[in-house]
Amino acid sequence: MAARVSIARAARSLASSAAPPRQLRSSGLLCCGNGAAWQRSAMRAAALEKTSLRQELRRGFAASATAREKKYTEDHEWIELEASGKIGTLGITTYASSALGDVVFIELPELGLEVNAGDAIGAVESVKSASDILTPVGGTIVEANGALEDKPANVNRDPEGEAWIARIEVRDAKELDGLMGKEEYEKFTSE
Amino acid sequence: MSPSRGPLRLFRATLKYSQLQNCRLFCSLAENVTGSRIQSYTSRSSDPYLNLSIEHYLLQKSPPDSAILFLYTNRPCIVIGRNQNPWVEVNLGLLDAATGTRDTATDSTKPPALGSVDLVRRRSGGGTVFHDRGNVNWTVISPRDGFTRDKHAEMVVRALRGLGIDRARVNERHDIVLDQGQRSRKAGLSDDEHTTPYMANGSAAPQPLKVSGSAYKLTRTRALHHATCLLQSPNLNLIPDYLHSPAKPYIEARGVASVSSPVGNIGIEITPFERAVFEEFVALYDKEQSQKDMEEVGVDSLEISDIRKGYDELKTLDWMYAQTPQFTISKEFGNDVFSMTVRHGSVLESTHLSIEMPKLHEIKDWRRYASTDIGNWLNNILLIPSNS
Repeated sequence: MAARVSIARAARSLASSAAPPRQLRSSGLLCCGNGAAWQRSAMRAAALEKTSLRQELRRGFAASATAREKKYTEDHEWIELEASGKIGTLGITTYASSALGDVVFIELPELGLEVNAGDAIGAVESVKSASDILTPVGGTIVEANGALEDKPANVNRDPEGEAWIARIEVRDAKELDGLMGKEEYEKFTSE
Repeated sequence: MSPSRGPLRLFRATLKYSQLQNCRLFCSLAENVTGSRIQSYTSRSSDPYLNLSIEHYLLQKSPPDSAILFLYTNRPCIVIGRNQNPWVEVNLGLLDAATGTRDTATDSTKPPALGSVDLVRRRSGGGTVFHDRGNVNWTVISPRDGFTRDKHAEMVVRALRGLGIDRARVNERHDIVLDQGQRSRKAGLSDDEHTTPYMANGSAAPQPLKVSGSAYKLTRTRALHHATCLLQSPNLNLIPDYLHSPAKPYIEARGVASVSSPVGNIGIEITPFERAVFEEFVALYDKEQSQKDMEEVGVDSLEISDIRKGYDELKTLDWMYAQTPQFTISKEFGNDVFSMTVRHGSVLESTHLSIEMPKLHEIKDWRRYASTDIGNWLNNILLIPSNS
C-alpha cells in the first residue's frame, strides 16, 4: 500500500507549482522510449490493410453490443474489451490527462503494429514534456484515433470517451485479469 | 630484427594501454550508473550528439530511486524539440560554414562568424534553443515521485542567487529569467524562487530576460529535466538570424511551435556556476554528502554500446528530418497553387508531385520532380545543410 500512496503523491506533485493543486501525474503514458518500433511499422500496416483481417475485425467490433468491464492500470491507462473479448479500446485516464497538462501533440501507432504489454504505442507532448503512451496488454493495433492528430487537446477534454487512443486485437485476454476495476482505481487515485 | 618492428611494437603497446584506459573510464561509468543513488557528472566533450546520448543513457540505466546531475557545454548548435519541424524553426541556409556566414561576416558590428553549426533533434519536448560555449546545459534526472516542473529550476535559481545574481527567478513557463526592473524599496531578498525585488509592473516596464530554458522527458519511473543556462555567449545578436526561417510563412505544421523570448547573459564564469549548481544539487539530494566532486565523462563513453547506439541514431537524417510531425507546404505560382503534404519525411499527397519520390531529406534537386519555378523555390525552402 505504501507504494500506491507514493504514486498518488507523485501524481499530485507533477503539476506545475504555479497551477492550482489539482490531481496530477500520470505515468505509463508519460513514458519515454527510444526509437520505438511503432514508428517504423508503416510497411507492416500496409500489408495488413491488404488482407481482409481488418474488415473482419471491424465487423466483430460493430457486432458487439455490450462492452465488458472497463479496466485500469497503475500507470493510468484504461482498456475496455468488447463482448467477444478479442478487441480492446484503450486510452489514458482522466486522472492522467490532468496530470499531463495541456496536450499539444500526439503520435499514434501504425496499424498492424505488434506489441507486448508495457510497450510504447505512441507519445504525447504537454508543457514541454515528451512522454510515451504504453499499452496495458499485448496484441496487434487494428485502429488508431486519427482525429487526435488534428485535435490533440481532446485528450484533455474527453480522455475516456471520444479521445480514445487505439484499438488492439488482444492476444491473451487473461492479461486484463491483474488490472483494477473502476472502484478500485478511484480508490487508488484518491490515496 | 628489422628496424620497422620496434616502432610497430611500441604502437601496439600504446594501443593496448589506451584501450585499458578507456575500459577503466567507461567501465566506471557503466558500473556507477547502475550502482549509486547519487551521481554527478561533467562532460569534457562539446559534441552535442554525444552529450545528449550520455544523458539519455543516464536516464535509462540509473536506478529508479537515484538522483543524477549532469553538466555539459556544447559547440555551437541549434537543438530542436522532439516534435518540432526544422524547416519551420531554423534558417537552415545559415548552418553551412561555407555559406552561412556571408551576411554577418561583412558586418563589423557583429562578432566573428560562427562557422559550422550543428542541427540536433533532442528526445525531450519543448522548443528550439541555441547553444554555444558560453552556455552551460544542466540536467537533473530524478524519481517521478516528488518531481515538479519547477523543482530543479528553483535549485538553479538558488545556485545563481548564491553567486550574487539576485535578479534570477523561475517564471510561469518553468524557465529562469533575470528581472530588469528598478529594485523595489519594500522588498527584501526573498526565499521564494518565483519573485525578486526587481520584478517590474506595468506594460512600459522592462521585460525580464530569459537566461535558461527547460524541457522534459518523462518515463514510467523517472523524470529528466534539462535546461540551457546562458552565462557568457558572444553570439546573442546572431541567435534571431538562425532561428528565423524563410520557409515558415508557407508551412502549416502539426507538432510543437517555439515561443520566442528576449534572452540575456548572466555574466558569470562557467566553473563557479558549475560548482554552485553541484552544491545545490548536493543540498537537495545528498544530505550525507556522499560525493565530494563531479565525475568527468567524455568521448570514451562511446565505448558503451547503448551510448553509441543513441549517438548514431541522433545523427541519422531520418531522426532529424523524417521524425518531423506532418506538415503542408503551399504557395501560389501565378494562377496555380502548389501544395504538398509531408508525413514521416515523405510526400503523402501533392497538387503537382508524384508521391513516388525519395524522402524529402534525400532529394538533392527538386527540379527533377517539379517544374523549374516550383523546383527552384523548393530547393530554397527545403534545403538540407550539407554538414548534417
